[in-house]
Amino acid sequence: MTGLPFPEWLSQNLADVIFRTQQHFLLSIYCVALAAAVGLTLALLTYRSVTLPNASIAVIAVAFTIPSVALFGFVYSITGNALLTFIPVVSMYGLLPITRNAIVGLQSADPGVIDAARGMGVGSFRMLWQIRFPIAWPVILAGLRVSTQLTVGILAIGAFIGDFGLGIFGFNALNNLGSVNTGNQALACVIFVAAVALVFDGIFVVIRRLTTPRGARV
Amino acid sequence: MSEQTIAEPAVGTSTSEPTYGVPISLKKLTKRYPGTKRAAVDAVDMEIPAGEIVVFVGPSGCGKTTTMRMINRMITPSDGVVEIDGKDVASLNDTTLRRQIGYVIQQIGLIPHLTIASNVALVPKLLGWDKKRIKTRVDEMLTVVGLDPAQYRDRYPRQLSGGQQQRVGVARALAADPPIMLMDEPFGAVDPITRGRLQEEFRSLQLTMKKTIVFVTHDFDEALKLGDRIAVLREGSQIAQYDTPENILAAPADDFVAGFIGEGAALKRLHFEPVSSIPLEQATGTAAGDISVTPTDSLHQALDLMVGKGSTTIPVVENGTTKGSVSVQSILARVGRTHGGSHAGSPS
Repeated sequence: MTGLPFPEWLSQNLADVIFRTQQHFLLSIYCVALAAAVGLTLALLTYRSVTLPNASIAVIAVAFTIPSVALFGFVYSITGNALLTFIPVVSMYGLLPITRNAIVGLQSADPGVIDAARGMGVGSFRMLWQIRFPIAWPVILAGLRVSTQLTVGILAIGAFIGDFGLGIFGFNALNNLGSVNTGNQALACVIFVAAVALVFDGIFVVIRRLTTPRGARV
Repeated sequence: MSEQTIAEPAVGTSTSEPTYGVPISLKKLTKRYPGTKRAAVDAVDMEIPAGEIVVFVGPSGCGKTTTMRMINRMITPSDGVVEIDGKDVASLNDTTLRRQIGYVIQQIGLIPHLTIASNVALVPKLLGWDKKRIKTRVDEMLTVVGLDPAQYRDRYPRQLSGGQQQRVGVARALAADPPIMLMDEPFGAVDPITRGRLQEEFRSLQLTMKKTIVFVTHDFDEALKLGDRIAVLREGSQIAQYDTPENILAAPADDFVAGFIGEGAALKRLHFEPVSSIPLEQATGTAAGDISVTPTDSLHQALDLMVGKGSTTIPVVENGTTKGSVSVQSILARVGRTHGGSHAGSPS
């Protein structure tokens, strides 16, 4: 009942594994990009209010607790299209860290810094882009990083509704429990999902190095 | 399209000739916050002369900061007018107005992700100065506030001590050479020794700058040290007394002002009397040790030295020659004369 040794299984399925890894990687980027667009917009619209930030974070946090398997199924029943289910649902799970960090970051500028700048004639647009945003940037970036890790993981679960990414290996392994190569498939899923996550993490380390001004480094 | 300015050279022409101050007048200036019975600032009338430091001093919550912040419209008045050089500030665009008024606050508020040079360059950049001029001006300003440009230009705020940061704060406020400076307890957050030094340096800086400065503090001694005039404010920013430090010490308008001056008004007044204001006596042989004063030193210094040495006279020395001496008796006589015998409780 033992299947092929893992290296052998891998070499036989290498093309498929590489293709799925790339697909997983790209889909993660799309989903995080969508989550970032929505999350940052939401943060920019709400950070100055007293009640809206908490309200929007609370709504997103509740949505975050919905089991992803159920949500995939529910949204698929509406859209009927795997990709149109995949991207919005996965993005939604990535929304919480991005929005929360962006709001906290934009609010984190020392009131003295804002008051002094305003008092010297810095207008509201400049205040946002040249003062608040750079101060918030390391926090926003940390949110994007956590969101990316979540996205990479939840994308794998999306294999329930569509043949995309690395999740299909894990899904097949569960479906054919007890047959010869299930162990290899599960292992491939685990290893390559982790690899994708690690590559993203490395990218974020580089971005942080390059984009954080010396004065803002902790 | 002519950008309105307060004073013509405010946008800066030469870096050697500073823009001198312009007068400010407050007319029935009022700030009422919704849901409060009493106005935070209640119909204040005040003339702030050009080129002087006017210190607003008063207890916490008396509205002194609110009054100051209405001058650059950080707070919009509920009623009344602020005129700078005869021009109603409400007629100017808020950001245009503020770029012509230096602003220094207790929290300093340097922008953490920008270098010291970029922080100082903030307003000149907003005004669209060219790069070379900004760089020259930044170095000039850092030198003026006693920071070596080569050493500090490229540092970040967090790498500086509190005192150094506030020096940068002052340099930043002066960078675009505004005719007016608003300062809200600027030296309140630094240690007493640094505060004393910053006050001295600021005072001597003002001798050449001649800006119109509105300075807010709750520390009456600071007001005495820096103010050309002091406005003692009570609740609602009502002016209890508005006069020179000497006159306020000599004749406090009422118990409130006297209470604010606190203990030792007579001694404090000696700060404002130079040794040359009393007739010198013949130098006697009882000069104790190595102490001496110059004619421009204050009587306070003279008395302090004498008390310290347990001596009753002190030689007055000018350019190395002894001109005479002053005694404790003559200083006491001086205090008695200018004091007029009466103290608080007799408003006139």
